[in-house]
Amino acid sequence: MKTQLLPATPATGRPGQPGLPSIPRAPRGRTDHGRFARQHRQRLLRADLLTVIAWTSVAASVALWLADGGTSAVTSPAALFTAAGIVAGLAGMDLVLLMLLLVARIPFIDRTVGHDRALEFHRKLGKPSLYLLLAHGMFIAVGYGMADGLDPISESIALWTLVPDMWLAFVSMALFVAVVVTSLVAVRRRFPYEFWYVVHLLTYAAVGTSLPHQFSAGGLFAEGTWQRWYWLAVCIATGAALLYCRIAQPLVATFRHRLTVSRVTGVAPGVVNIEMTGRHLGRLAGAGGRFFVWRFLAPGLWWHPHPFSLSAEPAAYGPEGQGTLRITVRNLGRGSARLVRLRPGTKVALEGPYGLFSTAARGRDKVVLVGAGIGITPLRALLETTPFAPGQATVLLRGHTEQELYLRDEILELCRQRGAKLFHLTGPRAQWNSTTWLPDEAVRSGYSLPSYVPEIADADVYICGPARWAGNVIADARAAGVRPDQIHHERFDW
Amino acid sequence: MKARGALSAAVASAGILLAGWQAGTQVAGVSTTNNGSTTAAGTSGAGTSGGGASASGSAGSSGSSDSSGSSGSAGSSGTSGSSGGASTAGTFKGSVVQTRFGAVQVQITVSAGKISEVTALQLTDDDRKSIQISNRAAPLLRTEVLSAQSAAVKTVSGATVTSNAYLSSLQAAIDAANL
Repeated sequence: MKTQLLPATPATGRPGQPGLPSIPRAPRGRTDHGRFARQHRQRLLRADLLTVIAWTSVAASVALWLADGGTSAVTSPAALFTAAGIVAGLAGMDLVLLMLLLVARIPFIDRTVGHDRALEFHRKLGKPSLYLLLAHGMFIAVGYGMADGLDPISESIALWTLVPDMWLAFVSMALFVAVVVTSLVAVRRRFPYEFWYVVHLLTYAAVGTSLPHQFSAGGLFAEGTWQRWYWLAVCIATGAALLYCRIAQPLVATFRHRLTVSRVTGVAPGVVNIEMTGRHLGRLAGAGGRFFVWRFLAPGLWWHPHPFSLSAEPAAYGPEGQGTLRITVRNLGRGSARLVRLRPGTKVALEGPYGLFSTAARGRDKVVLVGAGIGITPLRALLETTPFAPGQATVLLRGHTEQELYLRDEILELCRQRGAKLFHLTGPRAQWNSTTWLPDEAVRSGYSLPSYVPEIADADVYICGPARWAGNVIADARAAGVRPDQIHHERFDW
Repeated sequence: MKARGALSAAVASAGILLAGWQAGTQVAGVSTTNNGSTTAAGTSGAGTSGGGASASGSAGSSGSSDSSGSSGSAGSSGTSGSSGGASTAGTFKGSVVQTRFGAVQVQITVSAGKISEVTALQLTDDDRKSIQISNRAAPLLRTEVLSAQSAAVKTVSGATVTSNAYLSSLQAAIDAANL
């Protein structure tokens, strides 16, 4: 056992050396052995599969139109506009459905790219899909207008009044615009989360109101065509995935586990451990470090969902899997402030576990855990269970003061038991250098990630902390030869 | 591994698009003849030649082989109308009315000063949906018109565009028959 607690002094310290010798990159072949190699290959394969599915679904929406003889109808400028409008509408609809699937918390997607990456893709698709839908409306208005000899505005009015279900499509467009505009970062910051959330729920109304005109007015969706069946199947599958993963599964989990708050204990000023007891917790084995969306069913709190990671592996000991779960919460916002005063006996509803901050993401035998502030707590759970041989794990904890290294005693104990190296990196940040994640003192000594973990290029690196800080850690890791698929990063400042 | 995913996605997408396009050219070939026969049903000289500038190239109108009928112009041509008011008899074609879903033209048969039959020479047929709507609306409109003996009948809901075009073509035919 070589457990070391080395406050801020690198194990292989080469103090004052400005250009540390570069660590050789891990040869590519190295990924092919080791106990996580297979899991890693499969995850990358799944990720590729998801990429292929996403792109081909867009291609398929256009291909189905082509297969219906779409291009043969393009014989005049008017028809060209109409055709462009139809294609834009089909591709836009496909992107909207993809966006819904990305937030449906489908286990396959979560196991492959993780919840936050899925949300990232969801955000990226927002604007393109809106542009496609707007283009759809405009091109159709222009194309139909040219065929009828009307200007696009009059044509739009004619469509609104004359074609059944078309007014719903206009409503849908307005809703889509509202949803995307309120989600723009600049706009979103001005409003409380709840406002954004409620407007975002209108997405379902937007999709719902857009469907009738597709099936009643869309030529491609005419009865008896197999295109109609394809789109019907895709829409129904998306709806079913949302209903199952976001409503049915959480309800089942809540009733299965019947969690109750058993104890709330202080860890540090403004930070508490919330312990919950429940049943069938054996089913959550391996969820340590992953996050759940919690709802504490107390007056004024029940409607507020809280995403928090487990700070300890679920412990099950009773005959029916009775056991305890624990989360560690810092008083970050209005919502979490109330949690500090949570009463034992409060019932808890849960959705999850979500995210890839777990052993499921491992690809290498060596592992490095880097955490700052409250981001340390999921690392604590991961450290408890993720497999490694003594000496193959390194834990780097960053905080302003020693008191900010939450759960540091538990982590020290785990490191001792399992044979992991531990560094406490405390002190003020380097104000003069915005690209560093280390304390001022360490930066002045010329330290970087490889100073603490020389073998980092051949390790899985788990990073949890504030976004800016985590970004700096990632940059440091990349510079040390860590490939993107070795970096596992969990955002916790939603 | 990002490259591998992107490459497979690109190849798969291209393949699907190509397959769709290939299928599309075949469908277009088939549908040209299909639509041709659909439009021509009932009459022999009904096809318009290309329609107006705004006809969005429906396969039906371009596909029908013969193009002797009236060509997109307003007005009508009675084939064998006589001058007598009450004793009018014969067939009268209405004007060709262009809509965004295709051209519409009806023909009435008049005997003893009454409309005894309404035939749709052309109906909105730009796509399957329009064909379907037309096939539903036309019999309803025919029955209404035969009982009302005029173009002043209600439009069929869900087929507003087709109905309006049908009825204005009908009115032109009635005018031509001097009923």
